[in-house]
Amino acid sequence: MMTTLVLDNGAYTAKIGYSHDKVSVIPNCQFRSKTARLKTFTANQLDEIKDPSGLFYILPYQKGYLVNWDVQRNVWDHLFGKEMFKVDFADTSIVITEPYFNFSSIQESMNEILFEEYQFHAALRINAGSLSAHKYFQENSSELCCIVVDSGYSFTHIVPYCRGKKMKDGICRINVGGKLLTNHLKEIISYRQLHVMDETHVINQVKEDVCYVSQDFYKDMEIAKLKGEENTVMLDYVLPDFSTIKKGFCKPREEMNFSGKYKTGEQILRLTNERYAVPETLFHPSDIGIQEMGIPEAIVNSVQNLPGEMQPHFFKNIVLTGGNSLLPGFRDRVFKDVRSLTPTDFEVSVVLPANPICYSWEGGKLLSENPDFDEMVITRDDYEENGHYICEEKFDI
Amino acid sequence: EHDKKPSRSQEASQRRILDCATRQRRLNRQLDALEKDNFQDDPHANLPQLVKRLPQFDDNNESSKKRKKTRGDHFKLRFRKTFKHFWKSSVSEGPNYLTACAPPSKLPQRHFCAVCGFPSNYTCVSCGARYCCVKCLGTHQETR
Repeated sequence: MMTTLVLDNGAYTAKIGYSHDKVSVIPNCQFRSKTARLKTFTANQLDEIKDPSGLFYILPYQKGYLVNWDVQRNVWDHLFGKEMFKVDFADTSIVITEPYFNFSSIQESMNEILFEEYQFHAALRINAGSLSAHKYFQENSSELCCIVVDSGYSFTHIVPYCRGKKMKDGICRINVGGKLLTNHLKEIISYRQLHVMDETHVINQVKEDVCYVSQDFYKDMEIAKLKGEENTVMLDYVLPDFSTIKKGFCKPREEMNFSGKYKTGEQILRLTNERYAVPETLFHPSDIGIQEMGIPEAIVNSVQNLPGEMQPHFFKNIVLTGGNSLLPGFRDRVFKDVRSLTPTDFEVSVVLPANPICYSWEGGKLLSENPDFDEMVITRDDYEENGHYICEEKFDI
Repeated sequence: EHDKKPSRSQEASQRRILDCATRQRRLNRQLDALEKDNFQDDPHANLPQLVKRLPQFDDNNESSKKRKKTRGDHFKLRFRKTFKHFWKSSVSEGPNYLTACAPPSKLPQRHFCAVCGFPSNYTCVSCGARYCCVKCLGTHQETR
């Protein structure tokens, strides 16, 4: 029986699953731990590491582009293999994502690996944002245009789509992503209170647990300066020790000790302005010296370079995807800033899907059920007959 | 007499003022650090290299496993490139990786204290870092 495997191959996690099944989010990398010598852990084997302090990452992507093929192949061997998806390559088509403006040598290696190494029956290479746009247009069939904001691990892309076609002239990349936010938080904490430079894994969890996007940046700055209980931004985070405390957590407010030290022995991080100043980098990259527009300004800039009659349609169909859009307050802030930067006679609407990380995977699932799907893929026979050329011709990439 | 420098020039040399180029290099170094996958070294880096496998009798047999392995090496060599190789070699006409980068913001630059992160009004004379109060300036000078 023919099946389709949808793989949104991200720089940090792979979103993978059969189109008739559910999606799994799995680390797209390998790990080494301080305690388990001689072993390299692949993808979801992360769960086997009992003490992930000082976890060492080996990533297949660099700046959002696939460069480390041996790592990527190890991860794919694991994902496609008998431990996970048990792919029967001869009877499986694959929908796989790649970044915007991917480099042709990467695309060629991808073709070779999919068709010659794994020997998939057929393949469709596509941008993750195109899958998101497909899903959005399916769910909102009256809309003509949308603008996909994909804020991921390596960077943030703003991409306008009109009737399912991406508008290349409007594509805008901001070089701020989740990796940079975690590294920035790591540096701040290491400078101000505790050396955590080796603890990317732990601090990434801290980021996910405590960081939020401010709705009024300077007001939050004032609150964060206050002493004692009045400081509602301040938060104490209990770090994991991986023996009794397996996972870090925020101390409940009623248990917080504002005046002195805790008598319990656990290790605490006290967080104030870092909670919102770190995610603020997405909105003002220049705050840390990256001279680029932030997300709302880039959205407006991108739309203003498009034909005038289309512009209102983009402003009322802004779709947020990618892990950073899960930061509390992210949607409201994007709305607030875009609203204030656009003329009042334009309607502004910002949509945050229920699962922004898997939104493009769900789009891939929908696409594979589309009656035109068989015309969009390239079969292995096609490829063997025509080579890279046919892929370049057919894929809108 | 050569050991003893005038005290004034010594003071001046201690408080070296960094020029623009140095400040920019420093900023670039900081931004590069934010791109790093890991701060620490690979925990396997110091392990002794495993003893190289001795040739076996069946090495000449073209078993499928062996074939797959050589293929992998081929890929490794052919595609072992870093990111820099790519964008230098693939600037095409029309929208591309370089043109897609967000332009500089039109909003005014905001300044934050390099020590505590709160809005800052003062600039360190030597290195251009920002600070907000005397206390933070002290910390900045000690830790720079």
